[in-house]
Amino acid sequence: MVSWLILLVIGLPWLGAAAAFFMREARPRALHTLAVAVSVVSAACAVALLPFATSEVALSLPVGGVFGDFTFIPDGMAIVLSIIATVIGSLAVIFSINYMEGEKQLGRYYALVLLFIGAMCGLVLSGSLLLMFFFWEITALCSYALISFDNDNPKAVEGGLKALIITQFGGVGLLAGALIAYGTLGTYQIPVFLAQAQTLAPALLSVMAFGFLAAAAAKSAQLPFHTWLPSAMEAPTPISALIHAATMVNAGVYLLARFYPAFEAVPGWTTAVVIVGALTALLAAIMAIVSNDLKEVLAYSTVSQLGYMVYGIGVGGVLAAQFHLLSHAVFKALLFLGAGAVIHALGTRDMRRMGGLGKEMPLVRAVFVVGALALAGIPPIFNGFWSKDMILEAGAEGGPTWAYIIMLAVAGLTALYCARMVWMVFYGERRSTAHVHDAPTAMRVALIPLAIGTVTTWLLIGPFGRLFGDTMPTHDLHLVNLGGMAAGAAAQLVIALPVIAIGLLAFWFRDRLSGVTRALGWLAALARADFGFELANRVVAGAARGAAGVVRETQTGQLNWNAVGILVGLALVLAVLALR
Amino acid sequence: MTYPTFIWLIGILLLASPVIYLVGRITRREDSTAPVARWLALAAVLGAWLPYLLALRDTNASMTVGAVALTMDGLGLLLAALSLALGTLVVVYSMRYMENEAGEEKYYSLLVAMIGVMIGLGTATDIFNLWLWFEAMAITSYVLVSFYRNKPLALEAGVKYLVQSAAGSMLILVGVALVLMQTGTLDIAEIRALAEPTPGFIVAGALFIIGFGVKAALVPLHTWLPDAYTQAPSGISAILSGVVTEAGLIAMLRALSALVAISASWGLLLMIFGALNMLVGNLLALRQTQVRRILAFSSLPHIGYMLIGLGIGISTGVANGLDGSMFHLLNHGLMKALAFLAAGTLLWVLHVAGTDHDELVTADLSGAGRRYPIVALAFSIAVLGLGGLPPLAGFMSKWQIFVSGFQTGDALIMATVVFAGLMSVLSLAYYAPLVNAIYRTVPSSVVAHGPTIPVLMQVPLALMALAVLVIGLWPSLLSWLAAPAAEALLAAFGG
Repeated sequence: MVSWLILLVIGLPWLGAAAAFFMREARPRALHTLAVAVSVVSAACAVALLPFATSEVALSLPVGGVFGDFTFIPDGMAIVLSIIATVIGSLAVIFSINYMEGEKQLGRYYALVLLFIGAMCGLVLSGSLLLMFFFWEITALCSYALISFDNDNPKAVEGGLKALIITQFGGVGLLAGALIAYGTLGTYQIPVFLAQAQTLAPALLSVMAFGFLAAAAAKSAQLPFHTWLPSAMEAPTPISALIHAATMVNAGVYLLARFYPAFEAVPGWTTAVVIVGALTALLAAIMAIVSNDLKEVLAYSTVSQLGYMVYGIGVGGVLAAQFHLLSHAVFKALLFLGAGAVIHALGTRDMRRMGGLGKEMPLVRAVFVVGALALAGIPPIFNGFWSKDMILEAGAEGGPTWAYIIMLAVAGLTALYCARMVWMVFYGERRSTAHVHDAPTAMRVALIPLAIGTVTTWLLIGPFGRLFGDTMPTHDLHLVNLGGMAAGAAAQLVIALPVIAIGLLAFWFRDRLSGVTRALGWLAALARADFGFELANRVVAGAARGAAGVVRETQTGQLNWNAVGILVGLALVLAVLALR
Repeated sequence: MTYPTFIWLIGILLLASPVIYLVGRITRREDSTAPVARWLALAAVLGAWLPYLLALRDTNASMTVGAVALTMDGLGLLLAALSLALGTLVVVYSMRYMENEAGEEKYYSLLVAMIGVMIGLGTATDIFNLWLWFEAMAITSYVLVSFYRNKPLALEAGVKYLVQSAAGSMLILVGVALVLMQTGTLDIAEIRALAEPTPGFIVAGALFIIGFGVKAALVPLHTWLPDAYTQAPSGISAILSGVVTEAGLIAMLRALSALVAISASWGLLLMIFGALNMLVGNLLALRQTQVRRILAFSSLPHIGYMLIGLGIGISTGVANGLDGSMFHLLNHGLMKALAFLAAGTLLWVLHVAGTDHDELVTADLSGAGRRYPIVALAFSIAVLGLGGLPPLAGFMSKWQIFVSGFQTGDALIMATVVFAGLMSVLSLAYYAPLVNAIYRTVPSSVVAHGPTIPVLMQVPLALMALAVLVIGLWPSLLSWLAAPAAEALLAAFGG
């Protein structure tokens, strides 16, 4: 039973992807129906996995030889992330019915979305490092192909390539780590590795730990690799919601959480994780404040919130980080889809051309405000507040003070950019003359469950923790129930709420603070320049192109020169043979 | 006397070659569109499958005529499988591609001969016969590279290819002479027992590496490759990149295996060339705009991956290095041939059929995804597989090579593997834009006016694309071919 469910969760979307790719473009309705049906059934299968949660291998496909067994382990973390991927995947697909209406190449679109959903579930369910890397790369492939879905737009093509190259570059760290594990232990099985990690040579384990950190940072858009995510906003908005907010970007956080027990004792590793998380959260929040592109603000806020999760893992709060992952997936998908409804209606992403849209789009405004309140961490009924406070609590207990202070400050900055974003889009003066309409049916069907989820998922902390605790024996999780969470949150609330209030007040009194704004002008300029990270990308890309230009000169097409090549080769070989 | 079945395999193809030419020539004198040559060629390659399947059950079968011994070992079977499989697909593909070409009979005759000769190359057990088969392979391929004999660029490509290969060939011959002078024998096994680390043998080894290395496209001996691959008819490009280059590599390994005892550096040398091939090949491809030239240059890094795996296997005895290289040799053959055939189809339908011989450039691909969905998908699968993305074949064989590096526990080798991983990422920077271009919605001017593609040309593409996907999902499917080849290599290099 459980093995069938696993096969269905992954296989069904993949079969759907193959079918969608070859379906006639002329019949979009059939395509929509197929994609919705497949993703919803897959989501049902993922939910049906819940009673079968186990720390044991539930499905093993012996491939043999150097490829080992392809195993699947549906433990708590795997099932929760599969549910997130399939449920939010289904909602994104439903949203797409309206959003992608009339678009060309709809078959390719749905094929890639479904391929992604299956791969994402495979990534979290797999119990073999090779298989995990396999799915890891497929998600990158889908992400790239969907960012540049509109291949006629050069910015989309560039954004897709950038995402592909940067995440693959970091992925080499995961590759090296997986190879180290196999080279020393002779197996890819993750439970075996977690149990025997301390038998590895310290240097190798250290390379592995930092390799995984690099891979996670690239995938989860953390410093210094975060630049691909803002560029990824060229993707259709349901894709931004699904892949670049709710699921794929969490894979890095998942990786760190999964292997935390093996790496926590590696000297400097947890500190490095904390530094990456805290700095990313801070810098991304600043960049979100100065951006005028609605999706870009959301992208930076995603980077910043992922920073919270990474920080949470660094300070030992694995459960808190995973709980925030759940909250964030729900409210950020809501925000992106809400933004999608606005962009679809208005035809622009520039917030300076929005304003006052609340009157015409009351439903979208309502759900967007719910999402923004959760993102800002406003108590008491929004899930983002609870999970963020859990992370802060873990930080106060187990992390360095400086990082805790940064994370507190980021909470204030988050409140500030949330207020600014909501105000610029839905309130104030109407700055566009375009006629807009509220979200059509399919969009509503996707938005409303997410809004309900945003105000309810925090109630699940008890069963959520038990599910993790029961099925993840190698992790030392600090389980809490609802009461415990409330008590911990109350303590944090005393500290965090004033900071959040300062953030909101700063926005409210923004006109009176113009002196401060001017004084911080240099910071805003730096933030708009992406703190120099984009420049670093360009330098690397430019260096590669430059090197290519130099090497091209050697391909002269002249036979004499080619013959020289043969002589040089011969001399090289003779030299090596003589010297050794 | 009963012959081992592999002799029939080679014999059918070599005997069919002149028949195809003569019958094809005669029928074409009567009717200039007579399709006899292509059907005879198809019959020959299909007919060769039966002895091949029988030969599979008879590994290490051997035949001696006078002083010449031929043996079909695991390595030979692997080369035969690849040659025959790609050969068959290319013959099917060429039925429509070449149907309007004058000299069709010449094309098929040489193609079938080349397949037979490559299979023969895999069975040579002495270095002189190895050289003979190798030369025969080269001669058939020279003519095919310059098949479009009225096209100056094709002639230029052929001349470069000829001169550089001939230079390499001379070096091999000198190496053979040196070995013969010192040992009095040509037999690989006997030489292995007699060779000593003296300067004479060391020079011979170097000559073998460089001589065969020209054909195997080691950097800096690779300069003939982009012209030859792009000027040949597309079917021939597929064979050249998918199996001829690899046959050069296998011939080099055979020759080196005779001299394994004289130096501990063979593995190191292969790894050095591997790293060079990856770096230079990727950089050469990075700023190309001609599709077939990108594919041609991208053969260099793939040879590089194989060289890394072979170097690891030979220097440390880690079997996965050899196994992975052989697996990658098969996968690369499949994927690169697919890429060339798919690009060739677009070239044919967009340029050749419209009677201009312009090269296919990236911009031409725009809109092909909508106009020619099967070809576009096959091409995308091929290049993404070459880029090492799962769930496609290239990912798995690269993985196996990389594993072997980490099994050695040697820091330098592990660093080389990480370098190879980074090079693989770099390669995406030229593979991925091809896919982006093909899935644009706005058609390029050539695609907008492009005629339809015959089904017969699409069949081999679809089959190969499916194979790339299936192997990527189930990588042990080809281990029956790769593992015996790796074992043969391991035995030859005394692992």
